[in-house]
Amino acid sequence: MSQDDHHHPSAWGPHDWNHGAPHNSWAPFILSMGVAIFLFALAGAYEWGEFQGWGSVPLIFVGLGVVGFSLLVWWRQDMSFGMNGEVFEPKSTGTPFQNIDIRKVAMWVFLMSEMMVFTSLFSTYMRYRFGIPNCQTVFESGEWVEGTAVTCFEPASHLIASSWFHIAPGAINTFALIISSFTIVQALRYAKMKDIEEDVRRRKITRYLGTTWFLAILFLTMKMIEWFLGFPLPDFLHEFNHGDSSIKSLYAEGYLINADHYQHHAYDTHYLESHGHGLDHDSELYAMMEAGTHPGGHMMADIQVSATTFYVTTGTHGAHVFGGIIGLSYMTLKAAKGGYTPDNAVSIEYFGLYWHFVDLVWVLVFPFFYLY
Amino acid sequence: MSVMTPIFEGLWDHYILWSVIVGAIAFGWLYHHSFWFTSKDGEKVPNVDGLEVGVFPKHNDDMRLEVAWTILPFLLIVWLTYYSWEPLDAMWTSADGGVHGYECDYDDPKYTGSNNSMNSLGIIKSDCYHVIEITGQQWFWSFDCLELNESLCDTGTETMEVYGSVPVLSLKKGETYLAVMDSIDVTHAPWFQHLGTKEDTVPGMETTLWLPISDDMTEESMVLCAEYCGDAHSIMAAKLVAHN
Amino acid sequence: MLKARSKVAIMTLVAIAAMLALPSAQSRPEGVSGVQESGCMCHGNLPSDSVVASIDGLPQSYNYSEEYEITVSFQGGPTQEGNVNQGGFHLWASEGTLSVNDATAQVFNQNEVGHTDAGNDQVSWTVTWTAPATDKNVDFVLHVNSVNGNEDGAAGGSTGDMWSKATVSLGGPIEVLEAADPFVVLGVLIIVSASLLAITLAYVFYRRDPDAFDWDNFAPWLADWMTSTDHKKIGTLYFVAGLFFLGVGGIMAMIIRIQLAVPGNDFLTQEQYNQFFTLHGTTMIFLAAMPMINGFANWMIPLQLGAADLALPRINAMSFWLQPFAALLIFTGVFSGHGADTGWTGYAPYVVSEGAHHGTTMWAAGQIMLVASSTLTGINFLTTMAVMRAPGMGWMQMPLFSWSILVANVMLFLSIPAFGVGLIQVYLDRVVGTAFYDIAAGGDPLLWSHLFWYFGHPEVYVVVVPSFGIISEVIATSSRRSVFGYRSMVYAMAGIGIVAFIVYGHHMFTSGMSPTLRFVTMLTTMLVAVPTGIKVFNWLMTMHGGSLVYRTHTLWALGFLVTFTLGGISGMFFPSIAMDTHLHESYFVVAHFHYVLVGGTVFGFFSGIYYWWPKATGKMLSEKLGVLHFLTAFVSYNALFWPMHRLGVWGMTRRHHTYFVTTEEALGSLPMEAAGWNMFITVSGFLFFFSNFIMVFNMIASSIRGEDAPDDPWGGWSFEWMTSSPPPAHTLYKLDDGSWGIPTLRDANEHIANEPGWLSTWFGKLLVSDDDTEEAAH
Repeated sequence: MSQDDHHHPSAWGPHDWNHGAPHNSWAPFILSMGVAIFLFALAGAYEWGEFQGWGSVPLIFVGLGVVGFSLLVWWRQDMSFGMNGEVFEPKSTGTPFQNIDIRKVAMWVFLMSEMMVFTSLFSTYMRYRFGIPNCQTVFESGEWVEGTAVTCFEPASHLIASSWFHIAPGAINTFALIISSFTIVQALRYAKMKDIEEDVRRRKITRYLGTTWFLAILFLTMKMIEWFLGFPLPDFLHEFNHGDSSIKSLYAEGYLINADHYQHHAYDTHYLESHGHGLDHDSELYAMMEAGTHPGGHMMADIQVSATTFYVTTGTHGAHVFGGIIGLSYMTLKAAKGGYTPDNAVSIEYFGLYWHFVDLVWVLVFPFFYLY
Repeated sequence: MSVMTPIFEGLWDHYILWSVIVGAIAFGWLYHHSFWFTSKDGEKVPNVDGLEVGVFPKHNDDMRLEVAWTILPFLLIVWLTYYSWEPLDAMWTSADGGVHGYECDYDDPKYTGSNNSMNSLGIIKSDCYHVIEITGQQWFWSFDCLELNESLCDTGTETMEVYGSVPVLSLKKGETYLAVMDSIDVTHAPWFQHLGTKEDTVPGMETTLWLPISDDMTEESMVLCAEYCGDAHSIMAAKLVAHN
Repeated sequence: MLKARSKVAIMTLVAIAAMLALPSAQSRPEGVSGVQESGCMCHGNLPSDSVVASIDGLPQSYNYSEEYEITVSFQGGPTQEGNVNQGGFHLWASEGTLSVNDATAQVFNQNEVGHTDAGNDQVSWTVTWTAPATDKNVDFVLHVNSVNGNEDGAAGGSTGDMWSKATVSLGGPIEVLEAADPFVVLGVLIIVSASLLAITLAYVFYRRDPDAFDWDNFAPWLADWMTSTDHKKIGTLYFVAGLFFLGVGGIMAMIIRIQLAVPGNDFLTQEQYNQFFTLHGTTMIFLAAMPMINGFANWMIPLQLGAADLALPRINAMSFWLQPFAALLIFTGVFSGHGADTGWTGYAPYVVSEGAHHGTTMWAAGQIMLVASSTLTGINFLTTMAVMRAPGMGWMQMPLFSWSILVANVMLFLSIPAFGVGLIQVYLDRVVGTAFYDIAAGGDPLLWSHLFWYFGHPEVYVVVVPSFGIISEVIATSSRRSVFGYRSMVYAMAGIGIVAFIVYGHHMFTSGMSPTLRFVTMLTTMLVAVPTGIKVFNWLMTMHGGSLVYRTHTLWALGFLVTFTLGGISGMFFPSIAMDTHLHESYFVVAHFHYVLVGGTVFGFFSGIYYWWPKATGKMLSEKLGVLHFLTAFVSYNALFWPMHRLGVWGMTRRHHTYFVTTEEALGSLPMEAAGWNMFITVSGFLFFFSNFIMVFNMIASSIRGEDAPDDPWGGWSFEWMTSSPPPAHTLYKLDDGSWGIPTLRDANEHIANEPGWLSTWFGKLLVSDDDTEEAAH
């Protein structure tokens, strides 16, 4: 990739930031192509949640690969930004943002649309949460027959908030994200610090960005444990966990998007009896069972909508964290190379804005989906 | 026009009147100005607003005029809203003592039917109403008369050219019906063309629609599906018969 | 470098080929031939001519959903009357449902029936076939066995065994023509248009420098267009894409009009018609109107603001390139004959039902990409307008076109995430199997309607408001006046932007939504008349006391005033709910939104094209051709859409693939005149379609031999007229002292233009200048 004359750097290669913007770039074209291939291939591999054979699967990875490749192109062009004094940071000229960095305004505008994305997801959640009768209520009303699934809303919190161990991954995640918001600010603080040795700054920034990266990875790992893996408990804790030896994952509990015959032991009159909980004596069901008009037993539920709203909303948040991890990987690498200087600390600030937003969304998601 | 309800006709005429007035003002004005204030080279009048490249020109405004054509359209829409109000009220009237009264009590010795009648605005009032059920399904309508006897409501099928076999709903003139509607698969909407009314049938949800059959209702009219529902949407038809 | 480029080219081709190949491979009806060929080979013998199979009782053409009793029988072969076993049959029907009447036959599945043990002693059976509810070509294949099954026979009761086969085909009330598949027509037309576009591009490249016409020069030239982040080049790309898809959408409209030209037409089947109107809407809104707006905005916003480029050039390139790939996804379904058939509104639960075509998934996927594109565009333009206005240009000194783009982007930006989330829900439902709109699991169809229309209504304003901006510029410039009531224009536009978010419920007047909500949106919808009224009267007043110069763009602007006002008046009929329940989903609605979207949006675009073409290309367009274009298009346009109002009131329903006329009023179909009007509409439609090629020809002619354009051919005041025609690659403006640079706006009004208002002052206090923070850190 040779650099030819007239300030026409390659559309693949590093940019010449002394010249300012714009530069030609292949990244937008390739990225768009990759997204299209991915969306296309995914729909070829699955339909209505059923696997359609391996034919399209390689193409999914081709799509992801193309997206990844375009990001590499994009970053290769940006890598030189802020290095060797090559800074191109246009400032606002119009009121009311005079002398504010243009990219910072853009980041705030972007966050506005992100806000709308999560608002829409929360609207969906609220519509269903309040529009579909709660499983607990349905169970206690006795309006069900054993063997036939009833449609009701089972909040994930019913499982998650049922014990301190179950909520542990979510709680750890909350703290991980809050701490990561702190570490990203620390990275920015050291990047902006002028009276500090070049090398010390480089190491500090790298360390704090690396910590943020690690906490984000921790977040997703905890999510995997909570969704799919579950975890065992040491013996002495069993008695605090209804005598069970492990915490089951949501997957193992059957909390799934296709769960039309969901079974939860809390909706089993026999289980409740044998575990000494008993039914709420005020409930309709109790009265009906006493009167002999309801045989009791196990209520099956169609909870597809509840699982769908839970997984998609928290999953969208998870995808934002994943996006952050990708960004942080690049930034940590660049920091290690000494790419962030007081002249060029702002990239960390803009990423920080995004990261705080992701954190903030979690602070809303956690109570709504995990506690309530 | 043949396919309108009396309610709709009154509204329609009134709206057409105002459309003509508004149109006449706007187009008269446009016609006049586009022939009066013209020139070949643009030099007929001096550059009154000081147009110059790179200079924001002098304001050309008049507060009184601008306020006038803020207020006047506003008054017009207030009037149109007011005018649309009563027909709307009749359309959505309550099933408990609205303009169609209560559901008919067939055991009541004083019961003589809905005896609906139309006032000068085209709004139909009834003594009481009957309940029927309509279900949409890809791609046909099912009518259910529930407990009504045959003289009040009857269903059947008929073979029509092109549409093939279509369901027929036969209702009595002078009676008012409340259709309780549901759908089995996707969203549909029965358009009772000669009643000028429609409402979606939504799966998992109950919707209602008033069907006041006045004495001068046409004998036979079509019911077409007016919410896109898939392949055979356009031939999802039924027939409404108004009998004496 | 060339090598790397070739790699990309090959990769692109492979990707496109893969995209084209996959859906068609999936769409073949599988396993059909296998079943019918095996027939009744139960005894393993060869076919014989001596056995004659026959099917009786089938009509020449069937009526929808009617039941027919079919008698299948055979003669000849080894069968002998009186024997215990005489024969058997197997009947296969490609469409409809087969059922049995008695115990002599059994159903294998809805397409197949055969005899039972009890039916073994017969040579004739009766079964029932229920015709499909749509137009299909139906094939019947009958296999029969003739056996000589005497009870005491050695070989399982049969001493002779021969089989034979018979086939019958029939069509529905409307014959399905296999020969002229409209998808093939559309495919060919798209390929021809794309080839023409490619040839035109090659020709433009050739004209640029005939000597340099070879691959070595072409490849870098093409690569430059594909990688450019320059706002003018991207603006041009948007235009090319927008006009191309305007043509594609137009072709689809013409195919639709051919179908509707006469009652009961059989040019399209219902399935095909459903796909065509879906893709016509989606293409026109998302792939034609939106890119054209972005084309204008890309070209003119930086020029009008006196900026060098947009705030985020590479994001800008990203916004553009998402669109062609999104278009590919949306159209994949068409190439396989299973395009989306949901309407552009894609109402749930149909959109997630298995009845909707496979292409619906790709339709959602493509639109997800378009949502991403629009979001990036929104970020870019909002930022640009907030931060890159030239010194001296306050918010209230922005040209009205810039204001219109600002309002449009705020609306789009705040509404489209809801649509995006809705589409992701649909995509996930269809692919991963989530249950957002699964009715049995408690899903709510109205949720989609809310998410969609929360976006959908602002969206229709998004496409029309930029036209308001263009018309404001054109009428003021042509009248040699400054626009009447600049400030009320801005407030009216902002008012439309705000009202847009609270009126969307009027699309759901018959949806079963709560009556209170419907009533509230009735009131707010009525309110829309106020700001649009202000705008129309301001435009009219702008002409007052001016000296109107008739140019092509002036004509289009006046034409816009006529059609948009008509569209606005017909729009006032809908908020009156008692009337809306009749008009909803009728051709009255179709007429209304084409009056505002074609007569409003597209006429505004035409006006803008004629207005800014000299600036962008440096060449003048032919006025004679322009006037011809206006006259033919304006007349044919009105002839095309005006009669639709009447058809709608008569009861012609939207999204129906055909209609029927009758003399009997009793039947309730359309009156006889409707047929004549529809033919009239179709003819006008073709005239309108072809009249627009005058403009295309005008553009080509102008590029080749147009006169050179002066810097300010029409006498406009805003910054775009301050630079050269065409503007230099890195935009600079001719300043008063003769040098080139970034300009400062002066204000002819007395007050101090740049003094910030109280809101701005308050907001400014909240912000810490990025320079200040750095200084503080010292």
